[in-house]
Amino acid sequence: MRPGFLLGEVANGLRRNVSMVVSVVLVTMVSLFFLGIGLLAQQQVDTAKGYWYDKVQVSIFLCTPDSTDVASCAAGAVTPEQREQIAADLEGLEPLVTQVYYESNQDAYDRFREQFRNSPVLDTIPQEAIPESFRVNLSDPSKYEVIRQAFEQAPGVESVEDQREVVDKLFTFLGVLSIGALALAVAMVGCAVLLISTAIRLTAWSRRRETAIKRMVGASAFSIYLPFVLETVVATLVGAALALGLLWATVRFGITGFLSELLAGQSGLISLVGERDLWLITPFLVGGALLLAVLTAWAALRRHVRV
Amino acid sequence: MITLENVSLRYAKGDPWALQDVDLDVTRGEFCFVVGQTGSGKSSLLRLVILEHEPTRGRVLVAGHDLGQLPHRRVHVLRRQIGTVFQDFRLLSGKTVYQNVAYVLQVLGAPGHEIRQRVPETLALVGLQERAKRLPHELSGGEQQRVAIARAMVNKPPILLADEPTGNLDPDTSAEIVAILERINRAGTTVVMATHDTSIVDQFRKRVVQLHEGRVVRDQAEGGYREVTR
Repeated sequence: MRPGFLLGEVANGLRRNVSMVVSVVLVTMVSLFFLGIGLLAQQQVDTAKGYWYDKVQVSIFLCTPDSTDVASCAAGAVTPEQREQIAADLEGLEPLVTQVYYESNQDAYDRFREQFRNSPVLDTIPQEAIPESFRVNLSDPSKYEVIRQAFEQAPGVESVEDQREVVDKLFTFLGVLSIGALALAVAMVGCAVLLISTAIRLTAWSRRRETAIKRMVGASAFSIYLPFVLETVVATLVGAALALGLLWATVRFGITGFLSELLAGQSGLISLVGERDLWLITPFLVGGALLLAVLTAWAALRRHVRV
Repeated sequence: MITLENVSLRYAKGDPWALQDVDLDVTRGEFCFVVGQTGSGKSSLLRLVILEHEPTRGRVLVAGHDLGQLPHRRVHVLRRQIGTVFQDFRLLSGKTVYQNVAYVLQVLGAPGHEIRQRVPETLALVGLQERAKRLPHELSGGEQQRVAIARAMVNKPPILLADEPTGNLDPDTSAEIVAILERINRAGTTVVMATHDTSIVDQFRKRVVQLHEGRVVRDQAEGGYREVTR
């Protein structure tokens, strides 16, 4: 079969079965959207967990020039003496304190820039606003209260936060979101498979005379199947493109836009997934959808089209 | 060209035999009528030749292929050597006469210049060159059957099978159709035509293979429809 004739057959088939094509496009779009959300949520949980669980259990944030509203910061930014005193006090709390990591203002600012690389508010935050801190690992994380009581009112300390508690809530939420989205995606992929199979069956029925003629004159099974498969591939690609558009809009306006701004006030909370993460999963989403569509179409053709 | 050796066919276990112990040899360039009442096995015999069904017993050889040994993926190679015409024409209603005939060559991947050359040639063979731009519903039954013959022959197969090609046509038109088949046969194509059209068989005096309840009861050169011996 020559390419021009094949493309004509495909175009003709798409035109004659608009309603079936649109339904395959929509189901593919919805299933890939949920799959994408599930994967991004999973990625969010994994990267954030990896970052936080390895590095931090309790953070002692030190005073910045702007934190004078806190009693222990009335004198302004933390002084070198206050910082040394806090470090010495932490050393005195061994063996509860197993590891202390000091993050300078420059380190904190660099990390902030990396974490919020996708956020539009990045450039509005001055470096002085990012507090330096002591990151403390405890032998028993449940004894966070000991650290809090020891340092909350200490001179030079702005706040003491159990980061794990904060991020765990978000991880739980993201985990549920991820599982929910993946479960929906699985259901929708099941729908897509059944729909493609039904679409092929109906299309094959509507074109049974053409198929019978092709068969009669000696067209190979492959050349009889090919237009049906290509029509499915076109519908799947359009569905995948729409799903990627929706995912991009969700990431661009929902996460790096809205959610990022919402969370910007919570210092050092979490790094959010961005467009780069979406492009990383794109080949898997599109490739997987295409593979599934081709396999489903081929199986349906073998079942419903006699060659 | 077509050989059936002790062939029997039953569509399902417990069903009556559609064909029983059929031995038949149609040589290259022959014209053969297969006659018999409805249900006698004429169409079943043709279906075995194009490998629509496999025999329950026996061996079928077509154009050098032993069909029992032919892998499923090679069946299309066999079918390219056989043109087929049916009683109900089976034309594509949305395509013109020219497009219906060209469709075969397009499906088989023929280049454009070959299509432009062979379609008018084949339409001329069946006398339809003036009707190339007509749609099937604008043609008479006889003309539609001629389009179907052109479609079957455009790929120049060495064998033409016709299953009741005159079943929907009046006697004069039927004679015209068989005259076209005869012309095709004279050009070297082996023609096997299943029919129960008495007048056609009597008029054209070709080889007649008569089936009754799936068995060959007569195989006669230049026979008529009802003759038992000649």
